[in-house]
Amino acid sequence: MPPANPRNLRTVRDITRRDILFSVARVPNTSRLIVASNDNKVYEVDAGQANATPRQLADHGRYVNAVRLAGNTVISGGYDNRLIWWDLANNREIRSIDNAHSRQIRQLAVSPDGTKLASVADDMKCKLWNIATGERIRELSGHEERTPTGFGSMLYCCAFSNDGTKLATGDRVGHVVIWEVATGRQLSSVEVPSLYTWDGVQRIRSIGGVRSLAFSPDGTQLAVGGVGQIGNVDGIGGPSRVEIHDWNRRQRVHEFQGQQQGIVNRLIWSADWLCGVGGGNNGFIFFHNPANRTIIHQMNLPMHTHDSIFSEDFTTLYHVGHQRIVVQEMHG
Amino acid sequence: MAQKPLCGSPDHAVSRRGFLTSLAAMAGTAAFADMTAVQVLGSPEVAADLRRQQKRVIMLWLAGGASQLETFDPKPGVVTGGPFQSIQTSSVGVHISELMPRMAARFKDTCIIRSLNTRNADHGSAARIMMRGRMGEPSVDYPDLGAVLAREMGREDSQVPDYVSFYTATEGRGMAPGHAGFLGARYGSMDLTTSMVPENIRRGGISDQDHRERAGLRDQLSSNFERGRSSSSLDSHHQAYGRVQGIMANESLFDIEREPQRVRDRYGSTLFGRQCLAARRLSEAGVPFVRVGRAWWDTHAQNFESHQEMVPELDHVMATLLDDLEDRGLLQNTLIITLAEFGRTPNINPTVGRDHFASAWSTTLSGCGIRGGTVYGRSDELGQRVADGEIGAARLFATIYRALSINHHRNYYLGARPIPLTDPGTEPVREVLA
Repeated sequence: MPPANPRNLRTVRDITRRDILFSVARVPNTSRLIVASNDNKVYEVDAGQANATPRQLADHGRYVNAVRLAGNTVISGGYDNRLIWWDLANNREIRSIDNAHSRQIRQLAVSPDGTKLASVADDMKCKLWNIATGERIRELSGHEERTPTGFGSMLYCCAFSNDGTKLATGDRVGHVVIWEVATGRQLSSVEVPSLYTWDGVQRIRSIGGVRSLAFSPDGTQLAVGGVGQIGNVDGIGGPSRVEIHDWNRRQRVHEFQGQQQGIVNRLIWSADWLCGVGGGNNGFIFFHNPANRTIIHQMNLPMHTHDSIFSEDFTTLYHVGHQRIVVQEMHG
Repeated sequence: MAQKPLCGSPDHAVSRRGFLTSLAAMAGTAAFADMTAVQVLGSPEVAADLRRQQKRVIMLWLAGGASQLETFDPKPGVVTGGPFQSIQTSSVGVHISELMPRMAARFKDTCIIRSLNTRNADHGSAARIMMRGRMGEPSVDYPDLGAVLAREMGREDSQVPDYVSFYTATEGRGMAPGHAGFLGARYGSMDLTTSMVPENIRRGGISDQDHRERAGLRDQLSSNFERGRSSSSLDSHHQAYGRVQGIMANESLFDIEREPQRVRDRYGSTLFGRQCLAARRLSEAGVPFVRVGRAWWDTHAQNFESHQEMVPELDHVMATLLDDLEDRGLLQNTLIITLAEFGRTPNINPTVGRDHFASAWSTTLSGCGIRGGTVYGRSDELGQRVADGEIGAARLFATIYRALSINHHRNYYLGARPIPLTDPGTEPVREVLA
C-alpha cells in the first residue's frame, strides 16, 4: 500500500442524505460506517457503495450527537442524556443507561485499548465507563456550569492520548482540562479564550467553544480547535482556528488559522501531520505540519462537516455532515 | 454638552423629534424630587384604585426573531423539530419547549398564539409592522403600539413617563425605535440604551444651575427652529419636553437598587433580568407601556446552542415577572406581551441555524384581559404554514387593544381624515380574551 500523501487528496464518493450526521465511527478494515443522525437514530452505512441501504441501529428518540465503536460494540449518546450499547453483529441493544448524564451528551471517546469510554455532556461532567460492563468508573468535574456572564455553559469534546493515560476535555468558554485516566486527577489545564466569542455590545450572546481536541503522538502537546473571534455571532464567519499547547507547561507553542471560515469540529494528529475538518457555510479540511508549522494542503468540502475518520493506513478519509457522506482518498 | 445619537438610526440623526429627545435625555432637575409613586403603591387602597383605573403593558421584545420551535411551538420528533423536547405545561394538553420549565409550570395566565402569518421576513420592515400593527403607507406616519397606549392609557397629570423603552444591544436598535408618528412627541418613547437610568438623573447628576442653562439652550434652539413655522406638533414637542423634565427628577423610579436584595435575586443578574425588574417598577408606578428589548435572536448559525443559552433566561425572567406582578396584585391589570419581528424557519440550514420566517410563528399574551392557560391557532405538522386560526399583525393589535378595554375601532384624525386604531374590518381574536 503506498503511503498517504495529503497533497493528493481527492473526493471519490459523495453520498447524499436527507439528515444531518454529527458523528462517525468505522468498522475496522472496511468502508462500513456507523453514523449518528439528527433523525434520532444510529445507522450503519457502507460508504463503499453510492446507493447502499443504511441499516438502523439504536434509536435515541432525539438527536444523536456522538457514536463510537469498540470491537463489535457501538456506543452512542445524544440529547436524550442516554448512552446506548449496541451489538453490531447481532443488531441488538446490549444495554441502555438512562440519565448517564443530566444534560445532553456532546461527545464520546474510546481509549486506545478499547476498554474505557469517556463521555462529556452539558452537565459539565466527564464520565469514564467500563465498556465491557457498562459500569461507571469515575466522574470528572472541572468545568464551570455557568459562563462568566451567567449563562449555561456546554462541555463539547474529549480525547484520549495515544497511550491512553491522559484525557482532555474542552468547554464553551475555552477551558481545557487534562486528566490522569488512572486516578481521575487533574494534571493540568489550558485556557483558550480565543475560541469563545462573547458579544456583550451588539447582540448580547455568545458563540464558539472548544470543539475538537487531539494529543500529539507522544502526548506532550495538545491541539485545540474551534472558531476564532467572530464579529457577527449570528453566523460562524470567523477564522477556523487551532492552538497547540504544551499542556504540562501550560504554554501555547503555536497557533494557526485556516483559510476557510468556520469551526474546526474534528482534529486528528498522525505521525506526520495534524488534520482538521469542519465547516461554516461550506466544509473544509486542512493538513498542518507541526514540525515546520506550515499548512501542507487544504481544500473545501461540499458540506459543513461535523466529524471525520481515517482508514488504518490514512489513505482513505470519511466525512459526515450536513446531508452528506463524502469519501476522500490521498494515496501517495 | 454634545451627545451622539444613541441608536444610530437615521431618524435620530435628522429629525427634530430625535433632536429634542436627545436634549430631553440630557435634562435633569430636582424640582419633582418628591414624587414617590412606587412607595405609595405600598398602600392597598391606592393599589386598588390603580387596579380599577389603570392598565399597563410590558412588552418583551425578542429582537432578531426568537425561534417559535425552541420556545412556544415545539415540534419534537419531526425533521424540522430540532433536538429539544416539549414539556407539559400547567394546562393539560399544552406543551412548550423543555427550555422553558418555569413558564410551563405557571402557564395559567398566558395564552400562546401559534398562528401568526405576518408575511414579511425582513428585519427592519417586519419590526415596524409588528410595532405598529400594520403596513406603513407614504401619506400616514403611524404611531407604534407604545405611543398609542401612551395616548390611550396615560394620564395628563402623570409625572411618570408614558412610554419607556429599554434596548441596550446595538444590533437592531435602529430597526424599530419607539415611534410616536402622527401622535406627536408627547407620546414618544423614552429610550434607555446605554444605561438603565436616564442620563444625568443618576446620583451626582447635573445641578439646578446646569439645568437652567440647558433649558435656556433648548429654548434658544427651539425658538430658532420655530421661527416662521406654524405647526401643532410644536406644542406636542413642548409638552413632551415639559413632561420629560419632570420625569427626569425621579431618580428612584429607575433605580432597581432600591428593591430588596431578595427581589433582585429573583430576577437574576443578567441585563434582561435587571431591565425587567426596572420595567416592573415603572409599571407599578403607573407607566402605561414599557418595552424591554432582548436582542439578538438572529441565529442563522448554531441555532440550538444559542437558544440553549438565551431561552432559559427568557423563561426565568418572564416567569419571575409574572409571579412578581401577581404577588403585588398587579397582574390582572398588566398585559405582558412577547413579540418579535418574526420567528425562525422550520428548516435547519447547513450551519445548524434557522433563518427568518414570518409564515407561521408565535407570540404570547399574559395577564390583563387574557384567557390564560390557552393556545390559539395551530401551525402544521412541520411548522411550515398556519394550519388553523391564521392572524396577522392587525388582529393581534385589535386583540391587545380589546384586552386593555380600548375600542380598536376608535378613530384618530389627521386633519379630516379618520385613522382607526386598526385597519377597517379588523376584529380581535375573541378566543384569546378573558
